[in-house]
Amino acid sequence: MNAPKPALPPVLQLEQVSRSRAGRPAVRDLSLRLHAGQILGLLGVNGAGKSTTLSLIAGALRPDSGAIRLQDRDFLEHPELARQAIGWLPEAAPLWPELTLREHLNAHGRLRGLTGARLKEAGDAVLERLELKDMSRRLAGVLSQGQRQRLGLACALLHRPALLVLDEPANALDPVQVVALRKLLRDLAAEGIAVILSTHQLSEVTAVCDRVAVLHEGVLRYDAPLPADQHAALEKTFFDIAMHGRAQAA
Amino acid sequence: MTLFAVTRLELRRLFVRPLGWTIAALALAELGWRFALLLQIFLLNQVKLAALPDGPGYTDLVAVRLLSSLITGSTLPFGLIELALLLVPLLTMSSLASERSAGTLPLLFSTGLSPASILLGKYLAVLTWLALWLLFALAVPVSLAHGVTLDWGMLGAATLGTFLALAVLAAIGVACSAFASHSAVAAVTAFMFGLALNCVNLGAQLAGINIGFINWLAMSTHQENLLRGLVSSTDVTWFLLAIGVALALGIRRLAAEGERG
Repeated sequence: MNAPKPALPPVLQLEQVSRSRAGRPAVRDLSLRLHAGQILGLLGVNGAGKSTTLSLIAGALRPDSGAIRLQDRDFLEHPELARQAIGWLPEAAPLWPELTLREHLNAHGRLRGLTGARLKEAGDAVLERLELKDMSRRLAGVLSQGQRQRLGLACALLHRPALLVLDEPANALDPVQVVALRKLLRDLAAEGIAVILSTHQLSEVTAVCDRVAVLHEGVLRYDAPLPADQHAALEKTFFDIAMHGRAQAA
Repeated sequence: MTLFAVTRLELRRLFVRPLGWTIAALALAELGWRFALLLQIFLLNQVKLAALPDGPGYTDLVAVRLLSSLITGSTLPFGLIELALLLVPLLTMSSLASERSAGTLPLLFSTGLSPASILLGKYLAVLTWLALWLLFALAVPVSLAHGVTLDWGMLGAATLGTFLALAVLAAIGVACSAFASHSAVAAVTAFMFGLALNCVNLGAQLAGINIGFINWLAMSTHQENLLRGLVSSTDVTWFLLAIGVALALGIRRLAAEGERG
């Protein structure tokens, strides 16, 4: 008889994480868990602390207090874990305008430890997947906003991270590209990649996420699975928190 | 090693930007002009010089003087070091300041790289570029080696002095770029620091005052010894100290930025 399979540890675990920015608390006592294959939508009004939370998770910022565990290891003790385990697309995809798409992928790959044939294969695969192959020799400085966003996503996905952190990934994408992005995120989740995405658009969350968290003034006010066809209920919860600071009873 | 990944990325950026090439081309053209003038002066005085016991030769009067105006004592166009005072800040200004304005600096932090690795990676790239520039500049006087007697020891010491001076200016430039939020501010600040460090003893010298510490502080003091073919551990230590201080300040600033976000 087979023994029951032990539950896998979460890919990401935040425990009581706090961080101040410019002298005011941006994130307070945030605790979150994310498992492989989950897509978590992080909602909140401007200044709610979404981007700070994503920067903390991506390793670009260190928390003032609290603990972050990545693949069951202390991320603050081992920031180098981010190199292989995390792919991050910050808001407005930061790029080097003088480099081509391929050079971006090469640079990101080398920074994440990929070299030689592995780097080339990974670059080819991700260019193909994001439909950027035809423009691999184009300079990033001449790309449209949507193309820049897709290149940023390609760089984040290049090393096949266990956790993908996306800040407003659908920004500047046209409706066709938005649909393609949703499909891509679902495919990645099916492959076991955990995804956390912040957005202003509730429709984005209801379309792809299986869990939603709402931040307000740096505090996590809501964190629950998102069953299908719950757009109206999510909309009510979000606006309750945005207007009144807490979810109201139905 | 990811430090070299940063170096490679920065070198790539230097190679594809027209600024680096323009700077190198203009500098080499100016140095070519200086070389022609130095050679002309040398040829005019060759007979007189040959009559002097232990008189200066091609290396003293042409090859070494191409590198710096410090010991020229004439109003010729700039030597390589004087050009570097102006041009190295232009080369280094965007190394970190542009990463900051483009938003790519947090991306580098998110790869788990330490601030030291990021800054040293950038510094190595600039240093590689400057070493190539120096080699091209040296190729001009060395190209006549078959027809003249070159003092390789003296030229080696002068080259070492020039390379160390370039390394100091590059360290100051990269450090200023780590502090500045705009490339132009980084360039101006680096130029001012480089100039001050090179000429800090100039006022005292003009006034006929010889203050040991001020002389020690000036880069020109240590560079002059090397240009004259004197390699001493004191001078080399000064250069290494200056590089270390500039880089340490830059790393500290970058680390503070990583903490602050």
